[in-house]
Amino acid sequence: MNRIIVCLLIVLITVSPLFSIYLANLVGYREPLDIVAEELRLNEVEFSWTPLKDYVIPGLPDWLGYVLAGSIGVGIIFVFGFIMRRLIARRIR
Amino acid sequence: MHIPDGFLDQYTALATYGVSVGIIGYAIRRGNLSDENRFARAVTISAFIFVAQMIAWPIPGGTSLHLVGGALAGILLGPWLGILAMTIVLIVQCLVFHDGGITALGANLLNMAIVAVLAGYITYRTIVRTLHRISSIRKRFIAGFMAGWISLILAGTMTGLEIGIASIVLRRITYGLAVSLPIMSIWHGILGVIEGSITGSILSYIGFKHPRVIEAEVQKVYE
Repeated sequence: MNRIIVCLLIVLITVSPLFSIYLANLVGYREPLDIVAEELRLNEVEFSWTPLKDYVIPGLPDWLGYVLAGSIGVGIIFVFGFIMRRLIARRIR
Repeated sequence: MHIPDGFLDQYTALATYGVSVGIIGYAIRRGNLSDENRFARAVTISAFIFVAQMIAWPIPGGTSLHLVGGALAGILLGPWLGILAMTIVLIVQCLVFHDGGITALGANLLNMAIVAVLAGYITYRTIVRTLHRISSIRKRFIAGFMAGWISLILAGTMTGLEIGIASIVLRRITYGLAVSLPIMSIWHGILGVIEGSITGSILSYIGFKHPRVIEAEVQKVYE
């Protein structure tokens, strides 16, 4: 993989808490979907199958959890890609 | 734009799962996964879009926006591989980080991995073919901007449609669609300007450095 892409991913993961945690808390995070849910009185069902819900890692500060969650997500995508590539190559052979 | 659990009724959830699984299955067959370079590029773009979606841009006034990236994936990878790249992103977000509900995964895939990708790809291809007289950099920016903007509006409108239908079924709110459709389409029409600007800028840069990487320009007759 290109070194520029690796650097870009690292930079984006590192700065992500600045936008999604610090600035979001500053101005208040609300997506258009939240506005619709409020108008139509729709409620999210509260159940979870993962300890990493909303990119938070229990026991860690939000910003650090966010950075680690981003790294975990990228890692999973690349591992998945690697496994798929091996499977496809084996199938072709 | 990720719909959580509890927002959709069982019929809408099942219908969107059915449509998404069908189209993604078709994309697996048509995506030419045996091409190692294209597949590696798809995985890299998935990782980039995953990280880009983590960066929410808070907009003063109380709303926020993150890049969806469907148009970008479709333009850079072609429609079928673009759909698969976005599918990987949304499945990881849902299963690992509970970003979007498991019951709404079919709808989220339909909106962001299928509608956004196909709309972005078709819009970009149409505009690039239409604009002959202007420079490549400007042409790519305009086409990328329009592709990103239109893809976000359509994905947002689709989300509004699903939620509106679900509110009628779940809560008997007869005016559900009259609320959800305009809110989702108008807001995404406004926020889509940023999605379009980012998509257009990335495509201008990539097109300047590595024009052959943009599948939507390379493919003559798509598969």
